[in-house]
Amino acid sequence: MATTSADKELALQNWLRSRGRVAIGFSGGVDSAYLAVVARQTLGVGDVLAVIGRSASYPAEQWAIAREVAAGFDVGVVELDTDELNDPRYAANPSNRCYFCKTELWSRLVPLAHERGFATVVDGTNADDLSDYRPGAQAAREHGVLSPLADLGFTKRDIREQSRTLGIPTWAQPSSPCLSSRIPYGTSVTPQRLGQVEQAERALRALGIADDLRVRYHDDLARVELRGETLAYWLAPDRFAQLTDAVSAAGFARVALDLRGFRSGSLNVLHGVTAA
Amino acid sequence: MSIRRETPSGPTPLEMRLAESGVPCKVETRAGLAVLIATPDVVAKLGDAELRRTALALAREHGFTHVAIELRADPAQ
Repeated sequence: MATTSADKELALQNWLRSRGRVAIGFSGGVDSAYLAVVARQTLGVGDVLAVIGRSASYPAEQWAIAREVAAGFDVGVVELDTDELNDPRYAANPSNRCYFCKTELWSRLVPLAHERGFATVVDGTNADDLSDYRPGAQAAREHGVLSPLADLGFTKRDIREQSRTLGIPTWAQPSSPCLSSRIPYGTSVTPQRLGQVEQAERALRALGIADDLRVRYHDDLARVELRGETLAYWLAPDRFAQLTDAVSAAGFARVALDLRGFRSGSLNVLHGVTAA
Repeated sequence: MSIRRETPSGPTPLEMRLAESGVPCKVETRAGLAVLIATPDVVAKLGDAELRRTALALAREHGFTHVAIELRADPAQ
């Protein structure tokens, strides 16, 4: 297996040529943006289709980024609406919630791709994701969706490095899992709660917080996760009122800052799904 | 998620350990999450990374996986 990120990109190009035409589950995140651009540059405009699945569980800004990347790199795009919130198995928010979301996505996206002559459907799963708890991966397998970035050993760092080289604006973009990941398992996922989280995170971005952040939903309380240096900055008394006001405006009666700071999959730890 | 306020009769073992370490506060438990309720000056002190690590370690010893400090101007509210 290739060891440098540049060598992995060569291997990816070869893999893409071997498939001929590919449709990509395209969120506009770091991984799928990179995959879409490399596919476009390797295969040509007619042999790549990026499909954006729009749902209430993703912030609207994410779709805008996806459209912007696609337009900037001449990637053909189709948008389709998904409706996982109307699946009671998803809305109940079990620990395998992602399985039902991805089942909804792929059960719509894969037939659409096939109708348009794209036999190969891929996603942006990377090698780091394989060590995380990701029940959505099972749905991808069940629908024949391939994950070349993971299979070729791309880490997130590789993808950011090569994205920067290619001039893809997402190279430094924070990771952006769906908004439902902010709601503890067992607490139902509703449009209203997703809206609260989305509004609160947007308000924090408006305060100038550019790196990773999460607003975790705990009923009346919002638990905010920030990176270490950013966290220390906002603990100052003359600043935390701004942060509290921003998050409270989204409908949270109480606001708390997590002392460990940002960690991906934080609620998996809280529920004992993954280790602390 | 169950929410339980610590009894008003006296500090809990975690509250006592936190106070000894320079973080006097009340602790509200929400399953594995400890919500610390403190005065603004104590909140500001937690800007120090070492003190945060100490608070996290103490909370872990008492069975918590997550610790958050509530941001409120008046902790008596």
